[in-house]
Amino acid sequence: MLVENLSSFRNEFSPGAHTELRAQLNRSRRVAMVSGSLAVNSRSDVSGVSARVYRGGTYGFSSAAALDGDSVRAVLSAATQNALFMDRHIARGMPPLPSVPAIEHSAPYELADPPQKVYLDAVRELDSYISEKYPELAGRTVMAYSDWVEKQLCTSDGCAAFSSVPRSYIYIGLTAVADDGSPVELFDPDGGFGVFDAVFPTVDPVKERADRLYELLMHKREGVYAEAGLKTCILDGMLSGMLAHEAVGHTVEADLVLSGSVAGHCLNKQVASELVSMTDFAHTAFGETAPLPVRFDDEGTPASDAELIKNGILTGYMNNRELARRFDMAPTGNARAWLFSDEPIIRMRNTAVLPGSSKLEDMIASVDDGYYLINTGNGQADTTGEFMFGVTMGYEIKNGRLGRALRDTTISGVAFEMLKTVDMVSDSVVWTSSGFCGKKQPMAVGMGGPALRCKMTVGGR
Amino acid sequence: MSRPNTASKERYDDMEQLNDITSAAVKKLLELGAQKAQACAARTETREFNVEGGEFNLLRTLFDNSLSLTAIKDGKKGSISGNRFDGAAIAEMAADCISSAADGDPDPAWDIAPAENRGSFLVGAPECDLDLFFERLRELVADIKTRHPLIMIEQLIAQHIKEKEVYLNSNGAHFETTSGCYDVSLMFSAHEGEKGSSFFETSVRTAELSKPMIELGSFESDLAAVEKQIDTVPVEGKSTGTMVLAPGCLNEMLEMAIFNFTGDIPMLNGTSIWREKLGQKVADERLTVSRAPFDSRIVFGERHTGEGFASEDFDLIENGVLKSFSLSNYVANKTGLPRAKNSSSCLLVAPGERPLAEIIAGIDNGILVLRFSGGEPGVNGDFSGVAKNSFIIRGGAIAEAVSETMISGNLDQMLRSIRDISCETVENGSSVLPYIAFDGITISGK
Repeated sequence: MLVENLSSFRNEFSPGAHTELRAQLNRSRRVAMVSGSLAVNSRSDVSGVSARVYRGGTYGFSSAAALDGDSVRAVLSAATQNALFMDRHIARGMPPLPSVPAIEHSAPYELADPPQKVYLDAVRELDSYISEKYPELAGRTVMAYSDWVEKQLCTSDGCAAFSSVPRSYIYIGLTAVADDGSPVELFDPDGGFGVFDAVFPTVDPVKERADRLYELLMHKREGVYAEAGLKTCILDGMLSGMLAHEAVGHTVEADLVLSGSVAGHCLNKQVASELVSMTDFAHTAFGETAPLPVRFDDEGTPASDAELIKNGILTGYMNNRELARRFDMAPTGNARAWLFSDEPIIRMRNTAVLPGSSKLEDMIASVDDGYYLINTGNGQADTTGEFMFGVTMGYEIKNGRLGRALRDTTISGVAFEMLKTVDMVSDSVVWTSSGFCGKKQPMAVGMGGPALRCKMTVGGR
Repeated sequence: MSRPNTASKERYDDMEQLNDITSAAVKKLLELGAQKAQACAARTETREFNVEGGEFNLLRTLFDNSLSLTAIKDGKKGSISGNRFDGAAIAEMAADCISSAADGDPDPAWDIAPAENRGSFLVGAPECDLDLFFERLRELVADIKTRHPLIMIEQLIAQHIKEKEVYLNSNGAHFETTSGCYDVSLMFSAHEGEKGSSFFETSVRTAELSKPMIELGSFESDLAAVEKQIDTVPVEGKSTGTMVLAPGCLNEMLEMAIFNFTGDIPMLNGTSIWREKLGQKVADERLTVSRAPFDSRIVFGERHTGEGFASEDFDLIENGVLKSFSLSNYVANKTGLPRAKNSSSCLLVAPGERPLAEIIAGIDNGILVLRFSGGEPGVNGDFSGVAKNSFIIRGGAIAEAVSETMISGNLDQMLRSIRDISCETVENGSSVLPYIAFDGITISGK
């Protein structure tokens, strides 16, 4: 436990106000080798305690970088005073939050923190493998990374819970020079939930991914620029996951709905083809543990799946307790904080387009002139649903067959218009969980989806 | 307004404690076998107001510590960071740091700053006037509602951050810095019925609260522009035209170019297309770009780098000629090139001679871009993305707001194709930037 008997401080909570008390430790480990030079070799442990108090419709929050009893009392006092300040000046006059079921939860495992040597050895082995096998590469980056969040939560509703969520990844970036002299690069993350040496007991599977990445890079090196305009595209799972997260997910976060997102006017309306359904999974998806499982959120709400789109109809928002009341919805448990010093805000967990019944090969074969878009570097979206994704790997499709590879390009559209053009959905889901979502604070999220056939604006050059 | 946790206020004033912590950490690292060691310890106190959906909803008070240690042992480097200051934590961190170094690879390029790097600084406004800060924020929210009734404040985050920091290394380099400033970040969109604009984000950093906040940075002009973006039209077809970047967007595009062409990773990897261009022309001769944390218009500017070197202002590009890369000391030692004289993000671009209106009057086909939503550019500088919060320029005048409009080009070519630089600049406390018009940009719609 981070703080012994955290729940014993409940009797020091301010009467009549909703209070959350959280102790937290964030670990991160990072080793990066850039073209054979060990450029990063670092470890970080950040811990502390925070309190948030809800009174009359506004919140007070405080945190301190310590885990002792005096610090717990200090942040409880400061958060309470801040809540009183806001209530006195803003005076919304809102009643207390409806209660949620009290939960007691403990992480069912105890894990050892691998020494730095484990990360260094993995990176060295992979860098040597790549440099020896592919000496003609212009540049290479190998990075091992893990973060691990432990949280201990106690609320005035009776929640007393502990969670431990480690995730670990190896990222490989390769750069080659094309015949025209311009550098061409590709990047691939591998990994998921778990401590580093459990996720990567050996790096042999990552070597196979490096081989595949090199193969794709050689295709891209010979690649062409996509033709700009509205095209028939098949978005592979990585891209449909990005679509689920960026273009739809953010617009159906209840705080962004409140701020005027496009989804505010679309509840119970058709926003996508009937083939499209989308859910933000809490901890279990398709009968298996989701990539980054969340059992309870940082307001003490038991986490449940948030159905967002069902058969093309927008059916719900992700919320926190305050906005669940405002929108007359059940709390979904989406309020999460990244560091001890962050307050819980509405965040996605494992957001995915649900699979359909088509086979990817049939989908490709059905396109006369279009693109198969496989990988993305990053993506951004607007609260209007207008989105943009960078595409780092893809192929032309000509007469139902894959053609030349593509150089970097961009795709864009308006989510609730583009999703209405989806006319085929593949039967398997690809998940990813290696990145961070940015919304005031960073947050680890999972996203996934099947391949989608749709109409999409391609940026070209 | 009562001050939560006054005990921490007393604690906070004790710079000596930070000196003791860094001394103890460096000593411990040397005892454990490091030949070179550095420590940086800081205490911060943050006061933060939040507005969400147009309404104040949160006040936060954060007390945080940070401690980062670096050791070089037998040419191998280890780094560790944490936020505990007790003796046991420092000893544990030092041992972990040495262990990480021991497992690393020797590299003669790792080094720490020499002893002559020393200083004591007071930067910005360390003390927070919380009551006045809150009143100025309430005034800002009220001014926006009155002057820009179509605007919805999606999120306003307003912080005062106070920091005391000590840097010490085993060569004797030593810095003490006391700093503070007010940061206001405003995200908003415009709405009329069910119609809405794209969101826009703008920010200001200031050391004093004498003026209404709506008059700072580009708040007023940004709010006015977004109010005109509720009704948009997509651009038809594809053409080559002139892109005028507003200062906020110019900052983003220049940072992409600076990272891609002068940064540590592309230079270490050998993939920068400017790697042989030091002292050569890389941009239009009217372009001068500086990193200037000591400029009087910059609030809270960096005083030393993370590697312990005293910061100095410098030009990245002077009159179109590449004068410096953005290299850390490590990559400078690896490549044999000079390190950058500071590692700040304080970006200054020298203004031009003509007003923006005159520049726009000379553009037949173009686009005024306030925000760029794009993928990371390729290492060769190719970029493409969506022009957000942007207006078409037709026949020398600003016309309709646009939607679903892509812009694409190449950052290297773009910097050589400057049409003009405005004489107006926007100062937001972190940067001083004009509008710049670039020719040869591909503008495409549906």
